Amino acid sequence: MEQTEVMKPESLDDLIKILHKIFESDSVNVEEVQNIMESYESKPQEWMKFAKFDQYRYTRNLVDEGNGKFNLMILCWGEGHGSSIHDHTDSHCFLKLLQGQLKETLFDWPDRKLSGGMVQKSQQVLLENQCAYINDSIGLHRVENVSHTETAVSLHLYSPPFQTCQTFDQRTGHHNTVKMTFWSKFGERTPFETTVSQENN
Amino acid sequence: MARFPSIDDCAVLHLSRLQLDDLNLERLTDSKRQQIHQLHLTNNRLSFLPPSVCFLFNLEYLDISNNTLTALPDDIMRLTNLKTFVAKNNFLDESSFPKEFERMPVENLNLSGNRFEDIPMQFLKMTTLQSLSLGGNRLKNIPAEIENLTSLEMLYLGGNLISSIPPEVANLTSLRYLVLCDNRIQSIPPQLNKLHSLLSLSLHNNLLTFLPREILSLVHLQELSLRGNPLVVRFIKDMTYDPPSLMELAGRTVKSHNLSFSLSDLPSNLVHYLNLASECPNPKCAGVYFDSCVRHIKFVDFCGKYRLPLMHYLCSPQCSSPCSSNPQSDAESEDENSVPPDRLQRVLLG
Repeated sequence: MEQTEVMKPESLDDLIKILHKIFESDSVNVEEVQNIMESYESKPQEWMKFAKFDQYRYTRNLVDEGNGKFNLMILCWGEGHGSSIHDHTDSHCFLKLLQGQLKETLFDWPDRKLSGGMVQKSQQVLLENQCAYINDSIGLHRVENVSHTETAVSLHLYSPPFQTCQTFDQRTGHHNTVKMTFWSKFGERTPFETTVSQENN
Repeated sequence: MARFPSIDDCAVLHLSRLQLDDLNLERLTDSKRQQIHQLHLTNNRLSFLPPSVCFLFNLEYLDISNNTLTALPDDIMRLTNLKTFVAKNNFLDESSFPKEFERMPVENLNLSGNRFEDIPMQFLKMTTLQSLSLGGNRLKNIPAEIENLTSLEMLYLGGNLISSIPPEVANLTSLRYLVLCDNRIQSIPPQLNKLHSLLSLSLHNNLLTFLPREILSLVHLQELSLRGNPLVVRFIKDMTYDPPSLMELAGRTVKSHNLSFSLSDLPSNLVHYLNLASECPNPKCAGVYFDSCVRHIKFVDFCGKYRLPLMHYLCSPQCSSPCSSNPQSDAESEDENSVPPDRLQRVLLG
């Protein structure tokens, strides 16, 4: 008989423990990770200490370093905050909504010959507790909180971890490499790490 | 009416998500009432502000978002210590507030997600306001009186129907964060470069084709969002050129030859016209222009991130651009540098 039970994480700590176990092996079962992340029911009191907002732009707050196998972080999006179009440096990217909603717009990698700029492939609105997945072979995306009244909080898992990625100018397809920094780590604000945003949004 | 839970942390009262359609705080003793500094009443079924709320004399923070309020009672004026008032996602509009509301010492006002078509006059007199949000309403314009809000550090007007920005916005010299995204704005007034404190400017999803070159002087700007604007990408050549009128040519000659003139020489309308001459921004050019000028789009790196189409006027197509172009390795700048000056025409945009 096959064991098909999904371990439903009872808490954020539980989720992290399960993720550590899953990522012990070198191969990643995308569906399995997506299901587990989706089945964690967001409880603000469990992640509030990581959710540090900035007035002017979205923040990245490191939660767990996954024994070097993955980075788990919480992103906080104020009203209207959005990211650039970016890639994921050959890593898996899982994105789960903990609070509010985020719009994800998918793009193909820009074609040098096309001069019309980058055209969106598809769009979806991610609702609370939903978990999306992307990697470079699927394409590029832009993530935005389009609400003018609600903030949004999302939980991201990247495996393997990466410190730089490419951001793209939608009008031209031109790209540049940016270094990604954390607003806080493990619940502590890390001010000397952050620099002026290099994103094109 | 629901019974409220006992108050442990006396200063903060959490009464959100309780399906309240009314609230009676009369059972509270006076001393308990005076202790309450913060009241959360979000996500209930309140179609009016419960009168007993207005007797929490020391209330500094009130959040009544996600209810069904259409108006606020005059009694709200009793909350003389109210610093932060949040009433997002209700049914409020410009007629909902008491006439005397401007006397409230409110510093933070968040009324996003309501039905405002205009910014009420009372708000435009609240010089204590540090942060004002009217995001996601139905505002059609920003009144010039906005300049009265001299303490304003944050102005959120995203998600409205605004088509232009009055230059008076530039007088909000304390402004750090200006949000104008998701509107119908076609141009940015160049005076915005007076916003010396501005750290973040949100302009995404508008109708901008270019930005004024004055934006370059916002040296403290760290964040600038421009996605979803039909920004000019390629330098547009071969557009139609309107030759200057005879009056313009005569005016240019008068000015460039420094001929003196006065009301005893000329009719007053021509004196007025001559005084309106603008100087060509090209420092190497001593020319002037009146109405007929060439708009030259210059692509300039900004915040180290963008190649923004910035616009400046030149007196004639023969006048070459004042800003030396930043050599880039990509194809765009090669195109621009190779355009001979006599081919620079007035650019038709939009």
